[in-house]
Amino acid sequence: MSITDVTIQPASAPVLSEEQRARLAVLADLLISGGAGLPSASGAEVPTQWIDRVLAVRADLDATVRAVLDLEGDPGEVLAGLRAESPELFGAFAMAVAGAYLINPRVRRGLGYPGPAPMKNPALPGEAEAYLEGGILDVVVARGPIYRPTPTS
Amino acid sequence: MGTAPTADILIVGAGASGATAAKHLASEGFSVVVLDQGSWTSASDLPGDKPEYELMWGNHLWHPDPNMRSRPEDYPTNLDDSEQPVYMYNGMGGSTVFFAGVWSRPMPSDFRVKTMDGVADDWPISYEDLLPFYEATDFDMGVSGLGGNPAYPPGGDPPLPAHPIHLTGRRMAEGLNRLGWHWWPGYSAIPSRAHKNQAQCERLGVCRTGCVVGAKGSADVTLLPEAMQHGARLEAGARVSQITVDEHGLASGAVYFQDGVEKFQPAKVVLVGANGIGTPRLLLMSESARHPNGLANSSDLVGRRLMLHPFGSVIGLYDDDLEDWVGPAGTQIECMEFYETDLSRGFVRGSKWHVMGTGGPLEMATRWHIGEGVSEEPFWGEQFTAKMKQAVGHSVDWIVHAEDLPEEHNRVTLDHEKTDSDGLPGAKITYKTSDNTHRILDFGLNRALEAHEAAGATKAWITFRNFSSGHNLGTAKMGDDPETSVVNRWGQAHDVPNLYVIDGSVFTTSTATNPTATICALARRTAAYLVENRREQKVSTA
Repeated sequence: MSITDVTIQPASAPVLSEEQRARLAVLADLLISGGAGLPSASGAEVPTQWIDRVLAVRADLDATVRAVLDLEGDPGEVLAGLRAESPELFGAFAMAVAGAYLINPRVRRGLGYPGPAPMKNPALPGEAEAYLEGGILDVVVARGPIYRPTPTS
Repeated sequence: MGTAPTADILIVGAGASGATAAKHLASEGFSVVVLDQGSWTSASDLPGDKPEYELMWGNHLWHPDPNMRSRPEDYPTNLDDSEQPVYMYNGMGGSTVFFAGVWSRPMPSDFRVKTMDGVADDWPISYEDLLPFYEATDFDMGVSGLGGNPAYPPGGDPPLPAHPIHLTGRRMAEGLNRLGWHWWPGYSAIPSRAHKNQAQCERLGVCRTGCVVGAKGSADVTLLPEAMQHGARLEAGARVSQITVDEHGLASGAVYFQDGVEKFQPAKVVLVGANGIGTPRLLLMSESARHPNGLANSSDLVGRRLMLHPFGSVIGLYDDDLEDWVGPAGTQIECMEFYETDLSRGFVRGSKWHVMGTGGPLEMATRWHIGEGVSEEPFWGEQFTAKMKQAVGHSVDWIVHAEDLPEEHNRVTLDHEKTDSDGLPGAKITYKTSDNTHRILDFGLNRALEAHEAAGATKAWITFRNFSSGHNLGTAKMGDDPETSVVNRWGQAHDVPNLYVIDGSVFTTSTATNPTATICALARRTAAYLVENRREQKVSTA
């Protein structure tokens, strides 16, 4: 076995079968079809590395994802039926797919969200004052107090 | 049962109130022991600097609902008869580990709602009584903000300069000016520059999942290290099962479990700061022959008057990229225009609003999925990417906090069926949002929609109408009359003179503001009272 044969999995990460991943690709693309310059769910590798990342931190979604993948039938009808009859299950599955899609750095970049994770963005000197320029607070101050003082008796 | 040396002060709970009292009392030379059922939270374990942070916030480790976390230190809450979930964090720093750092003072009228508005009860103390303690704890917690707010009496300005109101705050401020409504740069327990133990805020915008840079005013960052420097002893994983009482009716200490071993900590004075759910639970668990209805409960008000302080939110979308993820998450601006009572609105009391950072992309997807009116619109499928691109970075989020007036049927009782990992009873929550609170929220949310329109939003909708804020208040009422309150104006139990309650349980009314500033000020005031009256204080000699 060469080093290129080694697949590193997160510790205790649940792993979907190839069949499950194929089914997930179909269902996920119905939920996120792509457009506006962004890929579809399968185009963003949701059914492979990113769903694994989701399930690695959200073991509680594992049963949800597998339960939906086990539903047989036309994929569109399966999702429509879920949404109508089991909205909580539909919501959890859809959010697992969306979560996988939205942690893909390529997708984040396409949405205009900076960085693969929250980025440090310390305020610059004078930045707070700059946002108040133009006397934007003057009218608030000019209206005077709006509180009722403590009664004196 | 293991027994330690007698402490001058035993504090149950290492959250905002316990940490405040521990720091102050230890610095004044008292021997202080703090017991907390949880442990320390390492910043490196927190989700906020990881790509999956939004997902991790909802997982079993980091969910704000203890039932979802189900860690050994989390006791169960039975919500069968509660409209709302109950949020809290059990560990060093308590719920400040997860709070947004919004730092808000009540108005003077909050302390006189009976006199001024004819509802509920006046507090036995005034805004002016608390002001010096707000100022002291503002410094302790690294509060940033701008003085001169016409919503408050003069004085008590924040110790640190305000954060930038950013593009979101500026955009909404312009809208409020068009309407002639009040606004002011927000106050946060998050330092705009390095302050004591706290680093300067890096504005990651992930405050509600814990601060990964050690900036936020989490009590485990700000207060507990100072308490320990002054000699306070903190015991983690120490779950108190009972406050004991001696033959003179004085509190003598606490029995607790640590690593499955039952221990006893004797003390001269006991302070309870276990939050509005945990405190009544502990007092009720501390029943005895002398106190068959629970400790300090001759009024039968322990656990009653629970105020879960529900909030609503309205999100608006704008053409401009407003970088809505930039922190601090808590407050860009606040609005107190609808705080005071105006009976023509159809309710009594009012609401406090603040603009928060919306958060990451998954939060935005959730807002589309659950929003009123938009949840029926096409979102999934071909619409998903277009709608997300329209929204991510382009939103302003109003949070509307309603005053939640006390009602005795909203309460905490013991659940002997659902027990914690030490076999102790869970907390049964009975809570229904009142009609008045609903009306405050509905009115505020409709006005917030108008604010979005005035600010130029292309679309706006309500994403939460009535949801638990994690502010657990009112279950050990403060008052002058022992028949109608649990503690007096100093937090001292009417029934047990060396037992003090120092957390949000003592709130006579909820106010419409975020409560942590007041929780800390009250705890600091109680601590100052204990220092001043140390010679007169009755103590257990058992």
